[in-house]
Amino acid sequence: MIDTMQSADVTNAERFERVGILADAQTASNTRDEFAAWLREFFTLDPIRSSDVVLAINEALANCAEFAYLERADAGTMDILAWHDAVESSITVLVSDQGSWRPPVVPSIRSRGRGIPLMEALSDRASIETSDRGTSVRLEWADVAPVALRSRSAH
Amino acid sequence: MDEQREAVVDKAAADDTTASSGSTCVVSERSVDEVVVVAASGVIDMLTAPQFGEALRAALEKKPEQLVVDLTEVEFLASAGMGVLVAAHEEAGSATRLCVVAEGPATSRPLKLVGIADIVPLFATVDEAVASLRG
Repeated sequence: MIDTMQSADVTNAERFERVGILADAQTASNTRDEFAAWLREFFTLDPIRSSDVVLAINEALANCAEFAYLERADAGTMDILAWHDAVESSITVLVSDQGSWRPPVVPSIRSRGRGIPLMEALSDRASIETSDRGTSVRLEWADVAPVALRSRSAH
Repeated sequence: MDEQREAVVDKAAADDTTASSGSTCVVSERSVDEVVVVAASGVIDMLTAPQFGEALRAALEKKPEQLVVDLTEVEFLASAGMGVLVAAHEEAGSATRLCVVAEGPATSRPLKLVGIADIVPLFATVDEAVASLRG
């Protein structure tokens, strides 16, 4: 039972991947910190943009941790795949789980349900795909320059 | 002007040690010109939001006329924390005038983006908030 989850970590100038990580609050928080470190290390983003990206992916991970596996006793897993497209100068982040979210359109009380509006407001493009295999959030940001490219072009 | 009667709120300090990642939130309560100020610092995400909410509820239970929630030292504010703010605002009702102090890309920006700044009065500094509440 413990061995059913496979975890894979990739962190380099093009990609950030965490596959099969636990869909819980602590893992969401740790992964957000690792993702933020990846952004800082490899890309030149102003404080607003970098704050936007980190909050948006946090909300995607938090939704998985909070909603994806409500009908299961044990926590399921989630994946985050992020990559930089050098041609498009864009960052795309895919956060997915194999569970089913509660219908996001009807937040039970007013203090809840701001994750999706936040993701939409903070990214250049956001889409959520739900199927019987799970839920996948895709977030995109344009005009993201890698650190190395920026310093090279200065010469 | 700032009286700095810093009293660490109940469980806040103790709970901090439970967060093994960067999710650490410290909540303290003080009084500025007789206005109660609950200040949070660090990270308010789904791990620490309950602790933040508890501190706000504890402050509201005393039914102060005004309550300033100071997020100046908050470096990350997730929707879980925003939900706590809205809940506190609702709990404050007509008994307590509640407002929020936040400035910057990690706090005031998302609060404005999702329209919380339209529900809860938002100020850039504690002095501005206090002046408004007392005015």
